[in-house]
Amino acid sequence: MTAPAPATDGPAAHEPAAHEPAGDEPAVHGAAGGGPAPFVRVRVWDLPVRLIHWLLVLDLVALSVTGFLIGTPVIDPGGGVYWMSWTRTIHKVTAYLFIALIFARLCWHLRSPNPWSRWTEWIPSTRERLGQIVPSLRFYMFLTREAPPVVGHNPLAGLTYCVLYTMFGVEIVTGLVLWGAEGTGWASWLTGWLLHIVPLPTLRLIHHLIMWLTWGFMIHHLYSAILVDRVEGTGVMTSIFSGNKFLPKDHR
Amino acid sequence: MTRESGRPLSARLADAGVDRRSFLKFCAGITATLALPAQMAPRVAYALDSVDRPAVIWLEFQDCAGDTEAFLRSRNPSVADLLLGMISLDYHETVMAAAGVAAEKARDDAVARGGHLVIVEGSIPTGIPGSCTVGGRSAEQILRESVRGAAGIINVGTCSAFGGIPAAGPNPTGAVRVEDVVSEIPVVNLTGCPVNADNLTATIVHFLTFGEFPARDRFSRPLFAYGERIHDTCQRRGHFDAGQFAEQWGDEGHRRGWCLYRLGCKGPSTFHNCPSVRFNGGTSWPVAAGHGCVGCSEPSFWDSMSPFYDRLPHVATSGLDLTADQIGVGVLAATATGFAAHGVGKVVQHRVAAHRERQAADRLAEDAETPAAETDGHGDGDGSGDGTAGAAAPAGKAVPSSETDGGRETGEVK
Ligand code: SF4
Ligand code: SF4
Repeated sequence: MTAPAPATDGPAAHEPAAHEPAGDEPAVHGAAGGGPAPFVRVRVWDLPVRLIHWLLVLDLVALSVTGFLIGTPVIDPGGGVYWMSWTRTIHKVTAYLFIALIFARLCWHLRSPNPWSRWTEWIPSTRERLGQIVPSLRFYMFLTREAPPVVGHNPLAGLTYCVLYTMFGVEIVTGLVLWGAEGTGWASWLTGWLLHIVPLPTLRLIHHLIMWLTWGFMIHHLYSAILVDRVEGTGVMTSIFSGNKFLPKDHR
Repeated sequence: MTRESGRPLSARLADAGVDRRSFLKFCAGITATLALPAQMAPRVAYALDSVDRPAVIWLEFQDCAGDTEAFLRSRNPSVADLLLGMISLDYHETVMAAAGVAAEKARDDAVARGGHLVIVEGSIPTGIPGSCTVGGRSAEQILRESVRGAAGIINVGTCSAFGGIPAAGPNPTGAVRVEDVVSEIPVVNLTGCPVNADNLTATIVHFLTFGEFPARDRFSRPLFAYGERIHDTCQRRGHFDAGQFAEQWGDEGHRRGWCLYRLGCKGPSTFHNCPSVRFNGGTSWPVAAGHGCVGCSEPSFWDSMSPFYDRLPHVATSGLDLTADQIGVGVLAATATGFAAHGVGKVVQHRVAAHRERQAADRLAEDAETPAAETDGHGDGDGSGDGTAGAAAPAGKAVPSSETDGGRETGEVK
């Protein structure tokens, strides 16, 4: 899981100056014969982002499998094995991890020195980011061949994470209500009031549906990464391991 | 307060054939039901023997009289005997002897004296003007008038507490719960379909002993009866934890008394003391009898707990009825198909564009000698991404700097 990270990687390497494309180590990878399109290596995904990303992937797999089994307990290892109990325990522990990871990511959104890790990457707020929405749409709608030139995500891609994180938020809250129903006092105190608005079985239904929607997002996420990788040729697919993208020298 | 002859309850019960021993046993049982320490039993007995009997008005609105049935058909010495000894039931449409104006007067007199208890069964129809009218007064009017000056309201059954079956979608009568109509008077909701008469008795005993209703949860249900989840006190819970489930009615697991989770048991979502107090004099309760809990004591019971034999509610409209897993698999299939199609579209788009470029380049090569001077420089004339499948134009060497697509500003280059 851990990427073949370059030696320069590490928290110390993320000084604010890192957003210069030249980065801390301006490795210029020239095109053939010192031609017109030399590439610059840019540290786009810093270590916390990659770490959280991969831990989330593992955690979501564990949560989905255990969650599905809790809803549809089809395994039959014979009596004597308290597997339902264990499955629910794993689901709870991984849920704690999930909450911690989401919380850490949100904090990193506010604290990260790396501009492509910050909240502005997800919520288009600058004129430039807003201006890229239409070109991004044109790209996805087959009107142009090239994706708009961005280092991290284009604004539409960023927005899909807002949707995903909203789903995660609902998942956490509904999970806490279910937890509270089992007698976890603090969870019930925190989220139990929701039961005045939505009945418990409906919350279970929502909790279950979002699991499926998350996997729908995974498909979209993988596909988009492959698409952008093929079209931009900046090494998106490997960047989530190494943290680096290779951008044309003239790239903003 | 109707202080009837000042004789203690135990003496009056003795007249009715209930001996002192049974009375004390009853007090001990009620103390346990209320989750009070056993040492409290004598205090309960003393209180019941000495308090005044409060006047009680029992109102029925949109109901099936199931709660009245539960109250009348209970254990021996019957709860009804005891209750009727403890309270003065001044008005109850189903059981009172009085009729017409006399009955109405009994109710109005009790209200005029104040300090009475109002027991409500059934929901209040607000969507049909004048419905459930008795003696020229609508259900809502009767309720409002009856609770004036009352010491408290006890809602028996899910209908008066949460709306129940009458309030289930599409709720044609505009049924509402009691708490939507009246406020400012202490309310205790004894939900269930029907209420467990033991919980009603215990609540009244608590009121008589301590002068107030027992501690309640967020839905005004007393914690002694609704503080624990069925699933957590269920006798089949061990089978749940071990993953031993009945999968079909009457299959091996069902016959061996395994957990009914996969047959739609709603115990995990329901708070009630059925597993310990049970019904019909402590004889049995649904799960013990081999049928899952249907969640009758929870808010929006009928809408959210159905279908009774499935784990989760369905997403249903008049036209379709889908389970969460059907929707989920559908969403996955649709996204996968959609993105596959998009991918094919992208490949085609690039192929076509590359083909056009090659044609244009060929034409240029034929026409003139100056290459790549004014090819189609805008639109899709870019090609900086050399990773693009087959998009490398012959004129590629001039392209990166003539990038115009997407408003890229070359001036910003570092
Ligand atoms: S709560 Fe149940 S038993 Fe009571 S009146 Fe309503 S439907 Fe009948
Ligand atoms: S039968 Fe119902 S309440 Fe009992 S353990 Fe199984 S799911 Fe829980």
